[in-house]
Amino acid sequence: MSVLRLEAASRWYGNVVAVNDVTFDVGAGITGLLGPNGAGKTTLLHMMAGFLRPSAGTVQLDDTPTWRHPELYRRVGLVPEREAVYGFLTGLQFVTAAAQLQGLDDPGGAAERAIGLVDLHESAGRAIGGYSKGMRQRVKVAAALVHDPSVLILDEPFNGMDPRQRLHMMDLLRSMSAEGRTILFSSHILEEVERLSDRVLVVVAGRLAASGDFRRIRRLMTDRPHTFTLRSSDDRRLARELLATPEVDAVNLHEGILTVSTRDYGALTRNVAPAAKRAGVSLLELRPADESLESVFSYLVRR
Amino acid sequence: MTAALVSITLRSLLNRRRTVLLALLGVLLIAVVGLFLLSDPTPEQAVQVTRSLLSDLAIGVLLPLVAVIVGTAAIGSELDDGTIVYLLARPVPRWRIVIVKLLVAWVVVTLLVAPATLVAGLIGQGDPALAIGFAVAAVIGALEYTAIFVALSLITSRALIVGLAYVVIWEGVVAGLFEGTRTFSVRQHVLAIAEALGGGNADGIAEVALPVAIGTIVVVTAAAAILAVRRLETVELRGETT
Repeated sequence: MSVLRLEAASRWYGNVVAVNDVTFDVGAGITGLLGPNGAGKTTLLHMMAGFLRPSAGTVQLDDTPTWRHPELYRRVGLVPEREAVYGFLTGLQFVTAAAQLQGLDDPGGAAERAIGLVDLHESAGRAIGGYSKGMRQRVKVAAALVHDPSVLILDEPFNGMDPRQRLHMMDLLRSMSAEGRTILFSSHILEEVERLSDRVLVVVAGRLAASGDFRRIRRLMTDRPHTFTLRSSDDRRLARELLATPEVDAVNLHEGILTVSTRDYGALTRNVAPAAKRAGVSLLELRPADESLESVFSYLVRR
Repeated sequence: MTAALVSITLRSLLNRRRTVLLALLGVLLIAVVGLFLLSDPTPEQAVQVTRSLLSDLAIGVLLPLVAVIVGTAAIGSELDDGTIVYLLARPVPRWRIVIVKLLVAWVVVTLLVAPATLVAGLIGQGDPALAIGFAVAAVIGALEYTAIFVALSLITSRALIVGLAYVVIWEGVVAGLFEGTRTFSVRQHVLAIAEALGGGNADGIAEVALPVAIGTIVVVTAAAAILAVRRLETVELRGETT
């Protein structure tokens, strides 16, 4: 079993801190690296993949620093986020070249196997330049799997895949995880991480905001206060009525915008219409104000 | 391992539309010589003008122009578009990537320059030694130029612009002004070899002695290759988002 280990790892570019004092281990199984765009996920993955030198701290794979140790790539497969591929090669040529660069004994056979794993046989003879985004993702995954690595690092692997391809890729990663491999993938989509990961690392603004079992983190996320904005025919009367309901924690009427905070998302959405009816006002709009993933993450950071 | 590197590099260099345009430059050189022949020159005039065209146009313009475009693209284009990740994420020693790419780029530059130089030299005048001397010199000069431009592409992301400025300002103007600077002009190195191999008709074209030229070519090429390997060993890939 291979373990990726970060200890007090930081990375900055000039004055900008991209990753700030992060410590964690990634062992066998599927670990999801979750965070909003720009949170530092790619920087973390690139440090783990040996493409970036940590500015401070250490990043190791089984006690060997990943930076400047290309021989580690015999055990590591990498699917980068960038879409760029050698468009002039066919899928089969691209994966075969990967197998040759790995120094495998039977590059052709290994390439055929890897292409079969990602279900790309039909298009393997076509130039990658003409592939859809989802097909490019799959051919990148095939190239990363061609040498049967014990560690697989994937940066936003589901980008551009249609739902069927996504399910297929999730099944593939699950079966690889069952074989005892260490799989780390990044995503900014909560549901992907929820469906696939045994363990999750949440990164916000370069810091590790939470790590561990997904259900626990999910609970933290759902327990947080929610804010809604409302529009009605008489915001002031509606505000008075809502303040009297037990699930509402706070009401704010500022510059003509009515906002309501609650800890019970479900109860509020169920009770706001009856409250409007009781107050005799017409409810025009009820909108969650902070449902973006960024707000969920920043809540986790504040805790 | 090496075969895959050669194949990827060769195909990415030859796939570019620029390469076709560069091949046309070689055809242009031959066409200029052909136009000159229409003026029905005497054998002495033919030698004199062809020698000038080979020296100023083939070695002075075509060779550095082709080398800067091909040399900076050999690794630079993959660094620019991010595809270098597919080579760097493999257990391939970095020196091998640099050396293979340098040699492939050298072959491409040679193919785009030396045959055109040879043909232009042969049709322009009657002395085959002069044409062969220039063509062989172009092959050696292609290696030195390519090594410089491959290294440059690992030092700056604006290698093509910096390389073109070097060709125009240093090779084109400054190096010719003073005796001391001529030693460090690739063009002068090439001319020294052309003079040595080109027979009697090539006498007097170089301003640098042959041993100095050969010594400098070896040192500059080796230094550029070593620098390129060192740079590739420590190149960092940030990804798209940072």
